[in-house]
Amino acid sequence: MLDLLPHILNGLTLGLLFALIALGFMLIVGLMEQINLAHGSLFALGAYFAMQLMGPRPPLPQDIASAWLALPLGWRYAAALIIAPMAAGAIGIAIEFCMRRTYGKDPLYGLLLTFGAAMVIEETIRLIWGTRDYVLQVPQAINGGVLFGDLIWSTYRFYAAGISAVIIGLVWLLIEKTPFGAIVKAGAHDSEIVRALGINLTRLRLLVFVFGTMLAAIAGIIVAPIWGIRPHMGVDAVIPAFLVIVLGGVGSFWGAVVAGLLVGLAVGLSGAYASEWSLLSMYVLLVAVVTFRARGLWGKKSVLEA
Amino acid sequence: MIATYQSDSARLITPTMMWLFLALATVPLWIARIGLYPYLGIEILIWSIYALAFNLVLGTAGLPSFGHGAYFGIGAYAFGLCQFNVVANLWVCLAAAFVIAGLAGALVALFISHRRGIYYAFMTIAFGQIFWTVAIKSHKVTGGEDGLLKIARLPADLGFASIDLAGNVSFYYFVLLVFGVAVIAMWRLVHSPYGRVIAAIKQSETRAAHLGYNVWLYKASIFTLSAAISGFAGGLFAMAQLAAFPDVMSLHQSGYVVMMTLVGGGLVSFWGPVVGVFLFLTARDVIGALTNAWMLYFGLLFMAVVLFRPEGVAGAVAAAWQNRSLYSMRRQGGSALRLLFGGGRWR
Amino acid sequence: MALIEVEGVHVRFGDRVVLESIDLAVPEGEFHGVMGPNGAGKTTFFNVLTGRVKPSRGSIRLAGEDVTGLRPQLIAAKGVARSFQIMTLFDDFSARENIMVGLPAFRVRGFDMHRAASADSDLAEQASDILAMVGLTDRADVRAKDLSYGDRRALEIAVALGQNPRVLCLDEPTSGLGTDGVQRLSQLVSQLKRKLTIVAIEHDMEFLFSLADRISVIHWGQVIARGAPQELQQNEWVKRSNLGRFA
Repeated sequence: MLDLLPHILNGLTLGLLFALIALGFMLIVGLMEQINLAHGSLFALGAYFAMQLMGPRPPLPQDIASAWLALPLGWRYAAALIIAPMAAGAIGIAIEFCMRRTYGKDPLYGLLLTFGAAMVIEETIRLIWGTRDYVLQVPQAINGGVLFGDLIWSTYRFYAAGISAVIIGLVWLLIEKTPFGAIVKAGAHDSEIVRALGINLTRLRLLVFVFGTMLAAIAGIIVAPIWGIRPHMGVDAVIPAFLVIVLGGVGSFWGAVVAGLLVGLAVGLSGAYASEWSLLSMYVLLVAVVTFRARGLWGKKSVLEA
Repeated sequence: MIATYQSDSARLITPTMMWLFLALATVPLWIARIGLYPYLGIEILIWSIYALAFNLVLGTAGLPSFGHGAYFGIGAYAFGLCQFNVVANLWVCLAAAFVIAGLAGALVALFISHRRGIYYAFMTIAFGQIFWTVAIKSHKVTGGEDGLLKIARLPADLGFASIDLAGNVSFYYFVLLVFGVAVIAMWRLVHSPYGRVIAAIKQSETRAAHLGYNVWLYKASIFTLSAAISGFAGGLFAMAQLAAFPDVMSLHQSGYVVMMTLVGGGLVSFWGPVVGVFLFLTARDVIGALTNAWMLYFGLLFMAVVLFRPEGVAGAVAAAWQNRSLYSMRRQGGSALRLLFGGGRWR
Repeated sequence: MALIEVEGVHVRFGDRVVLESIDLAVPEGEFHGVMGPNGAGKTTFFNVLTGRVKPSRGSIRLAGEDVTGLRPQLIAAKGVARSFQIMTLFDDFSARENIMVGLPAFRVRGFDMHRAASADSDLAEQASDILAMVGLTDRADVRAKDLSYGDRRALEIAVALGQNPRVLCLDEPTSGLGTDGVQRLSQLVSQLKRKLTIVAIEHDMEFLFSLADRISVIHWGQVIARGAPQELQQNEWVKRSNLGRFA
């Protein structure tokens, strides 16, 4: 049992990352009943934007760029963590504008549209940045390793897991404990209630979608130092995100978080014994659950299964 | 128009098929002159069989299967492995591709046929990923990422004579013959009582069950059948490529067959998948020769199709042909899409 | 022996008891009406009868054979047909094809994969006969979704008739119909009466009281009254729950 402990811990930190990756996807699925397959591409864009901002050649005029580069790494990292998601959010706005045509129709329209968008974004990434791998620098404070038992753990993993937990908690508070959250929950897919309350539905949906894409980008920045930055990272993220939502059940916040942790544990534990096959474990987990439970762990009825 | 459609549905070979087969038979005579090559024709025909088989599930049954590449790939491996380990006979190896992929499909169908919508869709993805991972990781059997190489284009042994298929032109005609048989079989299938029951189930599972149909069995059987035919196409593809690679089983490639089918108009037309495959593969070679970013343009085209012509190219052509208003056509395409996720609830 | 025998049927969804000790015996050839306020459990009762919902307790027998908890397709195959309150026709099929798919002769051929369905003139003729019965002959080739509301209601019943059932379950057949439609339906039902055993959920009291042999009143998941229309009009419960107000 004691041997397992590091693997369990590893699995849990990984699980928090999976939950974070799925967070924006979940908001859009749960609140708008739309599947955003471009989620992974926005995740990737977040990482690329942050990398570009912090790297040696930021997309800024010469004199501002040198002033910017003179700032300490920590400052630049913090700024990138805010600016890059906003830039990704702008792309999200563009996607939402296209997606409007599909509202009120089958959610498959949205799924296909965002599948196309994902292709376009990934190809654009290849055009701009090429196919090579990039590394996202992180500040010294969260870099390095700690000794834990007789294993060396990267500090960054703990930072990433911690910040994931914080972001998940904040989003939960926002959705469940604020008036804004109440309106969003009531209205994003039940348009009549919101209209009756005199709220601009178009703007509300835009807001939810952009918020979801910004969360995707934040997840991209958090995960990038661990996974690396490359064009394929979008696909590597959207599949687990989708899986976590289906496993947890559509429309269940804690279902997704628990599913994220379970997937992390499954991948972490199987990785310890058969690293070749570790990615398979999440699919086996999904099949095992969905074979017996029609809506994943705690899913609610939705148009996505009508 | 309706009357023609109905009489066509009872035909073994329709006029459209005749013209198509005749036109395709002339392809090797001129394809090199327009700067392309017979191999592209082979690829288009094989992928057309695959996409038509896939559309049995997506278009006819309305089941969102997003991991269909697995069965195409399994067929390819089965063909190669049969050739190496069992017997190097064309018919046996093609039958193996059909049967093994069908068995894989039946296994998956057992797990998914009682699920709907997003849960169904993701289960197909999960199984697709499982098969794909197994193919990549089982180096000893499949050759891993390097692929299963040195697969031969076995000669077609007819008992009295044996026809060599090694050359691209003779292989093209062989594939065309198989394509013809497959098209006729699938045309019969979708217009048979079985096909109509499947189409009925797509429109309302509840009603079909109360009419006395075992919905689960129909859903499972059409999935299995589609997987088997996809695997058969995969066997041909292994012959075409002289190898079997795991990448056709990846999620990307499974996504492409969905795109081809939808862009072509598989939801409203039997021929949609063929149109889509033709557009996709030709665009890949023609635009791909001009720019590396051809997927970017195809992605944009796909988005435009979803937004403005969800009935796809074949649907738009049919609309113009039948002189119907595009408005009603769009409604038709819309409802077909809506049905993909089961009953289709209005919002 | 009655054709349909329902004994002590309970249905629970989680903590909620939807049906409680429902008993019912419908002899062959009877038209049995089911009425009650919205949410009383009438449709759930139909769902139990047609196999869509498994009862938590109790039994259902059809001609003496226990059919409790059988799946819908098996109950349908034993000759129980139903129409739906919320119409779920095969919208992309023509009216004729909607009926054809429901014919027992079609069902037997359900796994026939090679002959064309449309080539079987026998099936088409059977369907045409039924279309004529409900007055839809000239709408035979119209797609279901392009039919008018009244025609769709008629087609609902036509599909059920096409199944050549012993028991016909109608879930609010008059709902949404105008006076003409209701009249047309009354005529049809009175033709069918005695030939078929009919169980009908209905809100239109005039329709029910003029046609039904007996009526069960369901309220809070229980049968609170049962009897011939004339008897029910005297029943205190029915009067108090304001169901007999038209009388």
